[in-house]
Amino acid sequence: MTGRGVRLAVVGAISLVASAHVGSPDTYFEGTAGPYPVRVIVRSPGVVPGLAQITVRLLAPQEVRRVLVLPVYWDPRTAAPPPPDVAERVPGDSTLYSAALWLMTGGSYGVQVTVEGAVGSGTALVPVMAVATRRLALDKPLGAALLALTAFLFIGAVTLVGAAVKESGLEPGVPPDRRRTLRSHVAMGVATVVLALALLGGRRWWNGVDAAYRTGLFQPLHATATLRTNGGARVLRLAIDDTSWTNPKRQWTPLIPDHGHLVHLFLVRDSTLAGFAHLHPLPLDSITFESNLPPLESGRYRLYADIVHESGFAQTLVSMVDISSAGGSWRPSDADDAWTAENGQRATGNVVTLQDGSTMTWERGDAPIRVDHDAPLQFVVADPKGQPVTLEPYMGMAGHLMLARTDGAVFVHLHPAGTVSLAAAETFALRQPGDTVRGALGKRLTAMEKGSGEQGAGPGGASGMPGAHGGEPLPAPRSLSFPYAFPQPGPYRLWVQVKRSGRILTGVFDVEVRPAS
Amino acid sequence: MTTTALPAARAAGRAAALPWYVAAALVAATSAKVGVIWDISWHRSIGRDTFWTPAHMAIYLGGVLAGLACGSLVLKTTFAGTPEDRGASVRFWGFRGPLGVWMSIWGAFAMITSAPFDNWWHNAYGLDVKVLSPPHVLLALGIWAIQLGALFLVLSLQNRDPAEEPPRLYGLLAAYMIAILLQNVATIGIEQVGFANLAHNAVYYKVAAGGVPFLLVAAGRGIRLRWPTTTAAACYMAFSLVLIWILQLAPATPKLAPVFNPVTHLIPPPFPLLLVIPAVAIDLVMRRMGRNRDWRLSVLLGVAFLATFFVTQWFFTEFLLGPHARNYFFGVDQWDYSSRLGPWRYRFWRADTNPVTPTALAIAAILAVASARIGLWWGNWMARLRR
Repeated sequence: MTGRGVRLAVVGAISLVASAHVGSPDTYFEGTAGPYPVRVIVRSPGVVPGLAQITVRLLAPQEVRRVLVLPVYWDPRTAAPPPPDVAERVPGDSTLYSAALWLMTGGSYGVQVTVEGAVGSGTALVPVMAVATRRLALDKPLGAALLALTAFLFIGAVTLVGAAVKESGLEPGVPPDRRRTLRSHVAMGVATVVLALALLGGRRWWNGVDAAYRTGLFQPLHATATLRTNGGARVLRLAIDDTSWTNPKRQWTPLIPDHGHLVHLFLVRDSTLAGFAHLHPLPLDSITFESNLPPLESGRYRLYADIVHESGFAQTLVSMVDISSAGGSWRPSDADDAWTAENGQRATGNVVTLQDGSTMTWERGDAPIRVDHDAPLQFVVADPKGQPVTLEPYMGMAGHLMLARTDGAVFVHLHPAGTVSLAAAETFALRQPGDTVRGALGKRLTAMEKGSGEQGAGPGGASGMPGAHGGEPLPAPRSLSFPYAFPQPGPYRLWVQVKRSGRILTGVFDVEVRPAS
Repeated sequence: MTTTALPAARAAGRAAALPWYVAAALVAATSAKVGVIWDISWHRSIGRDTFWTPAHMAIYLGGVLAGLACGSLVLKTTFAGTPEDRGASVRFWGFRGPLGVWMSIWGAFAMITSAPFDNWWHNAYGLDVKVLSPPHVLLALGIWAIQLGALFLVLSLQNRDPAEEPPRLYGLLAAYMIAILLQNVATIGIEQVGFANLAHNAVYYKVAAGGVPFLLVAAGRGIRLRWPTTTAAACYMAFSLVLIWILQLAPATPKLAPVFNPVTHLIPPPFPLLLVIPAVAIDLVMRRMGRNRDWRLSVLLGVAFLATFFVTQWFFTEFLLGPHARNYFFGVDQWDYSSRLGPWRYRFWRADTNPVTPTALAIAAILAVASARIGLWWGNWMARLRR
């Protein structure tokens, strides 16, 4: 079995995918637990069942008695959660609390973060996806130690058999005769063969477990993107053609709208990243979605499609598409569609000029941005005179930030509430014990989406998320902040989208993220 | 047995010397077994655990205690042992010590190896996705080894004793260690022979017939007591009962979803198999048949075991599923926190899909005979063990 371990160590690499988002498995949330503003980070264990680490930071100086955390599985038929856990205060930091979350079943969880304090108690709901995303390598020291101990145990067992046959039955002090010695050698030979077969069986067993685990690693639904021309206009078709989705008896729950759209589709120009679009394809059926393609330049584009299931499970589908034909006039198929061909601002620093002449400033400070450290993702939009402007909500949020590593290993769609999906949070906030029939909750959510219309960004909503549906429309703030920490080092591009005077504006920034230390 | 004709008072009159390392090995073997049963109860009642639960500590205490005690004895025997000590030992890589000591040391190393392996396994493939995993098997092998080591140490004391009737203490301790091994069988077979609800299906009798007689018969052949098998079976039942009575007293709250059964205390292990009755039959048959006819004896033992076991368990489990057994003494009708309680609690499971037929009983009888024959071989070897 340790031979297997050495092979694993040689293979070495830890593969990383994510459920929602790509290459970024951790969950970042900023919102309110009743009267208490909080930032919650859930570090994914990458394996199910596994222990996720949750930290809760109180963002306002309020007196708090205790912080409770409880992961609740999405399915009310099997949820039946135990009592919540009390998060421990992290020594040396009076506003930070930490606990472990036991995520025992693959799927989506709503983590209830309850803060109890002097001004009452409140709960925030943080959607967390529990999926196996990585295959852990056996590091060399541990592999070598296990190999050595296995060899020791193997030789020791053979020696034990020999000693048992040779001497254990003799009266004290009597030396073994030649016959006993010969028999012990035979017994040791047989033991060697039997133990070697047992070890081979163990290795085969381990290989089987590993193969089954690799088969069970989470992969987003397969999707294929194609282009067609319709009266001079280019139409992008996205098909979720995964057999686990197209099968009529599929296990997946239906899609639900997030910010009013079933699919948020992002196109990113491959290699150069010099082209970006944020589209919202319209459903032709439950598999096929179409969107008019903006006049992006010809080339190969990566596609990332964010979808949310009724279970609260959010995932990002990944595909590629080659755009070869020239783009003509573009009539957006959805009013929230937007695109840009800006190619980053490496030369001009942290201030970019937006399409309406206003500016967007990334207040990032001078410190380098490092992996797993809170990234200073704060942005201010100012009019041409330099005065900060008040932003309009764009799909229920003050802003959207998409970031991609140049090689495509990371793609994340952020809001001021973090990495979490608003729709996923709503499924947990509004799910009732009787919601055991597929589609029942989705219909309610869709009706609520239609009834609520466009909303401002601000505190409120059932889930405690800024800009959550159900809260009173509020003017969006002038500055934007996104809670996040980069998961991997390397060059990234950021697209920050806001809405002003009815126009969707996109600021583009580049950043080099350094290793953690 | 050689002891049957001797008056008990004569044996009881002699003082038995129990070396410190044998006592340590017995405590280690007990600690590991208590830890395993406690851990199963922990998982059925609380669900969530860490490496540092008391149950895990009891298991690893067994390994550490056995390893340290036996390791120090090896060093003492090898470098400062008397000729008698060295003469009562076997050679192992240039060192000297009794066979049981080497078994225990091997078991301790296996247990120690399993700890980081298990930790990595959890991180790699998930927290106890399956109980039966390579690191858990290695841990189980280690526990078996320290228990067998303790048994061998006691047997070598019994067999080296020059008196025709060795001190009864050695026999009792050897019977106790057989009882611990019977507990292992009960643990491994908990899903086949653990619960009373299983006693009206065929697998129950096949598994019991294959797994139990070899230990009972080995005790009958290797232990010098008047009723060796019965004593071992009684120790097995007493061990279970003590744990059933103690574990129920410990408060516990489920901490892992789903919680369908909000238990308030540790769920005890199932009521033990009534092995005393088949054991009495085995003792009587072995006493009557004597030695030198082991093939014929194994047939008689296998059939006697299955007949008495079948009758006993078939009817006694009906009592265990009834209302009069639902009390502290029997500890039945207590279920995991994740169980959805229902009428299934009081029914026999798989009685219709896997019925007890004459064919099934014949297969069980063959298994019992084979198991008894293996027990005789092993018992003969145990009776010869001197070092």
